[in-house]
Amino acid sequence: MLFAAINFPPISDVLNWRSILFGGTPFALNKVGLITLAATVITLLLFFYAGHQGKLVPRGVQNFVESIVDFIHNSIVVDVMGPEGLPWAPYLIGLFFFIFICNVFEVIPFIQMPATARMSVPAPLALMVWVTFIAVGIKSQGFGHYFKNAIIPPGVPGPLLVLLVPLEILSNFIVRPFALAVRLFGNLLAGHLLLLTFAVLSEAMFVKSIGLVVLPLPFAMLTALTGYEIFVSALQAFIFTILSALYISEAMKAAH
Amino acid sequence: MSTVLFAAAAASSSGSSNPILPATGEIIWSVLSFGLLLVLLGKWAYPPVKKMMADRADKIRGDLDAAELAKAEAQRTLEEYREQLAQARRDATHILDEARQTAEALRVDLLAKAEEDAATIRVRNEEALRIERQRVIAELRAEVGSLALELAEKIIDAEVDRAASQALIDSFISEIGS
Repeated sequence: MLFAAINFPPISDVLNWRSILFGGTPFALNKVGLITLAATVITLLLFFYAGHQGKLVPRGVQNFVESIVDFIHNSIVVDVMGPEGLPWAPYLIGLFFFIFICNVFEVIPFIQMPATARMSVPAPLALMVWVTFIAVGIKSQGFGHYFKNAIIPPGVPGPLLVLLVPLEILSNFIVRPFALAVRLFGNLLAGHLLLLTFAVLSEAMFVKSIGLVVLPLPFAMLTALTGYEIFVSALQAFIFTILSALYISEAMKAAH
Repeated sequence: MSTVLFAAAAASSSGSSNPILPATGEIIWSVLSFGLLLVLLGKWAYPPVKKMMADRADKIRGDLDAAELAKAEAQRTLEEYREQLAQARRDATHILDEARQTAEALRVDLLAKAEEDAATIRVRNEEALRIERQRVIAELRAEVGSLALELAEKIIDAEVDRAASQALIDSFISEIGS
């Protein structure tokens, strides 16, 4: 049988990693934990380097960092939140860098694991955004006012409210964080498995018979998808960040 | 192939944990990492970058303003020079015109004066000529009179000889002619 050599690993083998340190304790540090730490360290190093290069005409790392900061600053903070969102810029920039670096480890050779393909990363981030926008809403509009604005759409006749209020609660306070987390998680998990599938197929073909080189599709797909996944990494980081900005901004102003 | 996939599915379902559910350790480390990132980024790593970008934006804005000012200044100077040049050109034309007019007037004057001089000279000449002629005529008259008198005397003296008188007349005439 031609494809007998294909050896798909069990899905848990490519997602659940053995702990490297503190095994057995709640602080078990595994590959995903390391990647999140690396994302933090890399982001800080990038900013440290960019901040201390301080050239008038930015080049290299400084240029890269500044382009992203500029992009988030203009396209997310100012466009979505307006000038009053400026204090949130470091928070959103951190969010973007952290998610993007966690994502992009998907295609980094020998690591090839997006930390965000584990619910452990997107879920706390989404939860944090959820807590943030509710806290911002309560702080800027007052407790009763904020929840009233968020739950009761204006200009809706009384009887319809019976229908709409549960929907608004569901959409604003339950679906939002859930969708935020699942969108990121699902995209990166799918990308990870897709790359894995084509990698396994390519490997099987090359190992099985050199003649199968004439079947370049899996490898071509692998190459193309690797590029695509870099794009997805940036896109998902952007979507997560811009939605966070939108939620916080809505909570700051009266949403309705 | 289906058996392989089935085996993979079986392996995953029999795996130690569900791939969807997060692991405690991972949650702790990711929260820790991100918390650390936010604190350090906000306190220490982001401000210099932000300050630098703001400074640069200010500098560029300042430079642009300065350039705008310099451009306006240059424009004004250029306008001034243009105006001066035009003025100089107008002045030159004016001077040239004046010179031409002066020359023309001078020429006309000179011509008139020359004509006048010529006329005066002509008149004076004519006058001189006329006086000279009158003088000559008067002299001639006196001469002719005395000559006629002289001739009459001679004719009276030699009235006998017609031929001799004829010769006398001839000599008289030739005397006048000379």
